[in-house]
Amino acid sequence: MIIIGEKLNGAIPAVAKAIAARDSEFIRQRALAQAKAAQDEDYFEEPVPLYIDVCASTDPAVELETLKWMIDEVEAAIPEEMEHVAISVDSPSAAVCAKAFKLCKKPGIVNSVSMEKDADGIVKTDIVFPAIADTEWGCVALLCESGIPQSVEDRMKVFDKIMERAKHYGIAPNRLYIDPLVEAAATNQAAFTLFSECCKQIKSQYPDIHITSGLSNISFGFPGFRKPLNMAFMALAMNAGMDSAIVDPTNKDMVGLMYAVELLKEQDEDCMNYISAHRQGLL
Amino acid sequence: MSKIQEVYEAVEAGKAKRVPAAVQEALDAGCDPTAILNEGMIAAMDSVGAKFKAGEIFVPEMLVAARAMKKGVEVLKPHLSSGAATGLGKIIIGTVAGDLHDIGKNLVAMMMESAGFEVIDLGVDVPKEKFIEAVEANPDVKIVGCSALLTTTMPSLKETVAALNAAPFRSKIKVMVGGAPITQAFADEIGADAYTEDAASAAQKAKELVA
Repeated sequence: MIIIGEKLNGAIPAVAKAIAARDSEFIRQRALAQAKAAQDEDYFEEPVPLYIDVCASTDPAVELETLKWMIDEVEAAIPEEMEHVAISVDSPSAAVCAKAFKLCKKPGIVNSVSMEKDADGIVKTDIVFPAIADTEWGCVALLCESGIPQSVEDRMKVFDKIMERAKHYGIAPNRLYIDPLVEAAATNQAAFTLFSECCKQIKSQYPDIHITSGLSNISFGFPGFRKPLNMAFMALAMNAGMDSAIVDPTNKDMVGLMYAVELLKEQDEDCMNYISAHRQGLL
Repeated sequence: MSKIQEVYEAVEAGKAKRVPAAVQEALDAGCDPTAILNEGMIAAMDSVGAKFKAGEIFVPEMLVAARAMKKGVEVLKPHLSSGAATGLGKIIIGTVAGDLHDIGKNLVAMMMESAGFEVIDLGVDVPKEKFIEAVEANPDVKIVGCSALLTTTMPSLKETVAALNAAPFRSKIKVMVGGAPITQAFADEIGADAYTEDAASAAQKAKELVA
């Protein structure tokens, strides 16, 4: 599983406070704590990357400079030997994403685009895709256009449009992290069914494409008892084809679950990753 | 690092792709085929067994190492005097009547093979008569290993061992027993020669029994 670590988001009050105070130590510690969940070459034969999401959630006027500060702090926090850790540049503004990713030292992923229009009226894919076309950057793409489509068919229509744009700009499917969107089960009981149907259709069309999600949306509305729902979603969504997730990498229960599901899905030859994760202290 | 040491390390690390090449390199360098087998592969499997017993490695890693060794033996076989890879002799192994568990029995068979025995695996749910017939058909057999994984099949193990104990060939063979509910006390009570608690110890014990 490709983990996108969610703990450096300005929407989290403690992070907002650290950003406002330019508390380097706080940002660096959080970055490193998440990076430690990345697969280490000493244990894993073929480590998969882990991305540390960096989202400012500030006033648009200061967002880019805030992101720059956060990116610099995260890069300073990650030791060079952690080769498989990179940054996920996160902004609701495609224009900011297209500028901010250039501030990073090594390729990561842009989070995110969709078929929605950006502030200047240009569709988000058409801002980010050309900017990353000649790089090794990946990109998260949400299946929404104007609001969240309420049927599998409508979400897949958005998917087709995104793939058409990706093809146009020469972005290979394996650079894309499709987020089919997760709604709260509390308000839409079909939330998972919709998600998993999209996963299956997407994977059958593009076996190399990645599918990700900010899955904790599923348990919104159940304060204090969200964890079982998040974990059940993770297991079922992985079974439907999800191979990436925006989660807390320091949550050992969730990380352990991901390794366990991969093993059961026969994606872990001789159980070696499960054993390696145990040896690295990830379980 | 010597070529034999390279074979040893590749087997121990379970590198199924590396082992055959390492064996070939050792042969090309003029190493004695029997030394490659004994000091390279079998010694590596001894170490794997010891690490498993100590809880340092896990079942899949033992399987992977044994598989890697097998690949190496394929390369080595044409260069060995016949029987060198199975020089310790024959072992008959099976899970007793009424019991369908084969994981533990298979692990034992694999570790016995890796230790240098020729293993005749009778499978699961093996009636006592079949154990007897198998020994009669292989008069050179040295050890019979019987496995029972359920408390409800412990009586079946007892009957099997009793049948072996009553057979005319009994003095020529050793009887080993094992399985989750089995204990040394039970093994003593039913008249088996040896009990071990895991596959690695079973291979070690078998070597001692034929020494």
